[in-house]
Amino acid sequence: MAKTSKKGVKNYTSPVFTRRMYYFLIPALAFFLIFWIYPVLQLFYYSVTDFNGINYDFDFVGMKNYARVLSNGTLTNSMKNTLIYAVMTVCISNIIGLAVAMILNTKIKMKGLFRTCAYFPALFSAIVVGFIWSYVYMPGAGMIANLITMVGGDGAAFNPLGNYKTALFAIAMVEIWKGFGTTMIIYLAGLQTVDESLLEAASIDGCTQWQQIKWVKLPLISSTITINVILSVISGLKAFDYSFIMTNGGPGKSTKTLMFQVYETAFTDQKMGRASAFSVLAFAFIILITVLMLLYMNKKEVEL
Amino acid sequence: MGNKNNETGGASKRTMKKALLYAAVIVFCVIVISPLVIVFSSSLRTPGNQTSPLNLFIEFSGASYAQAFSNMNYPMELLNSIMTTAGSVLCIVIFSTMAAYPIGRIKSKTAKFLYYFFISGLIIPSQMVIVPIAQTLNRLGIPNTRFTPMIMFITCSLPFSVFLFSGFMKGVPVEIEESAYMDGATLPRRFSTVVFPLLQPAIVSCVITQGLWIWNDYFYPMVFISKKAQYSLPVGMLQFLGDKENPAQWNVLFAACVLCALPLILVFLALQKQFVNGIAAGAVKG
Repeated sequence: MAKTSKKGVKNYTSPVFTRRMYYFLIPALAFFLIFWIYPVLQLFYYSVTDFNGINYDFDFVGMKNYARVLSNGTLTNSMKNTLIYAVMTVCISNIIGLAVAMILNTKIKMKGLFRTCAYFPALFSAIVVGFIWSYVYMPGAGMIANLITMVGGDGAAFNPLGNYKTALFAIAMVEIWKGFGTTMIIYLAGLQTVDESLLEAASIDGCTQWQQIKWVKLPLISSTITINVILSVISGLKAFDYSFIMTNGGPGKSTKTLMFQVYETAFTDQKMGRASAFSVLAFAFIILITVLMLLYMNKKEVEL
Repeated sequence: MGNKNNETGGASKRTMKKALLYAAVIVFCVIVISPLVIVFSSSLRTPGNQTSPLNLFIEFSGASYAQAFSNMNYPMELLNSIMTTAGSVLCIVIFSTMAAYPIGRIKSKTAKFLYYFFISGLIIPSQMVIVPIAQTLNRLGIPNTRFTPMIMFITCSLPFSVFLFSGFMKGVPVEIEESAYMDGATLPRRFSTVVFPLLQPAIVSCVITQGLWIWNDYFYPMVFISKKAQYSLPVGMLQFLGDKENPAQWNVLFAACVLCALPLILVFLALQKQFVNGIAAGAVKG
């Protein structure tokens, strides 16, 4: 029979749902612990060694890796780049995604075609997207440069990936191009749950369309907004693909994100100990941002 | 909108507004799609045709495709991609529905802890843990074959899939299971014949979202696979990395891009509805 603990929380509800059900967890838990959690814990261990990733004959070096990572500026640089990248991708892809979803949610013709167009880039592998956009951004012969030349500008001078001031924004645009369609589809589904009669009531009460959006639609889809923002923040903080494929971290250090820096330190520089120390700090940073965001979103969702 | 505006001029104003809206959407879609159209048009040229790619569809030839096809070892890569994606997705569906069963059904602190434990895996980036993972595989004596990345695809998909199925598990009525229990069904039987079929919308969602990223992922195959014959499509594309800034190679590169994306595009066009519903269901219901 159902046992009830002191606090009144049922430990298992009925003879139908017994503890034996936990056996179903075994395969998933085994994979998760061995190939995800254990490697994460190993990072802490490697972070105090001079392990190079190949030779197991390594020494303990104490906090030297941490001191090095904090003092040589790679951490702050890549944290800054990752934050800028994440904020840009989160804001722009959510704003565009929501705006397009709202337009497509009206009585518009060829809705399916527009939706397909907006979602299409999401089907491509990051590596293909990286190649396509390398062409788009190419100075002189690239797509945008060609268009600039066509209207009488100087196409050869257009080089967003070659300029350390614009490169990060340029690769963030690529991520937005690929990602906003998915965001849009999720918003569309959220908007479809909004009851039409509420909007009609609002319009009878004299609400303008902006007021309807602000006071009726947005509050009703607040949980969709939350999930979209969380998903895009998580993927934004993992930024790696376009730094790796398109810019190789450059020019200078301008597109080195946290994960690119980890990869470079571990594979190119073969400094696994230092990469681990870097990872531990990056991980703390990612957890901090995620928790802050969750707290903020929860508060916002209640307010709305 | 339900705006019943009957004032004089209201109708023409509305038509204006609507026309502007259409114009905006069309311009936006053209901007989004234009790189893809240019890539497609260039891929249809002969490899030597180096006129500006902006002159759309001036030549129709399969020569660039033929070259890309043989450079990529396309049939082998396609087969590898299909095998790893299908195998991983199958395991993910089985493992994560199983894991979600106790998590979604049992109301205890343990179940709640396990739920958050799995979800927390979402925020760990692959690049961060790749070296310890490689070491773990090494120590367990798992060789680097075309199937090694599958282990990581399965593991990385667990957080999202367990989250998805636990959410859907609440929508499966408890009463159905209770009556199955009364009829004497064992636990594995109850799971496989009663609960599992009712999770079907979530399974579609899981297959599509996870299949999409696994099909397109190049990172794990890049790290774990060294033999060319074992490459999947995205990792095979890495060999073109040097060509992206060389306009002379663009036609072949773009043909390779199209070949790489083509299988998924065909699947998407055939199953568009399932894609759209699946992606939305994963995020909205979960």
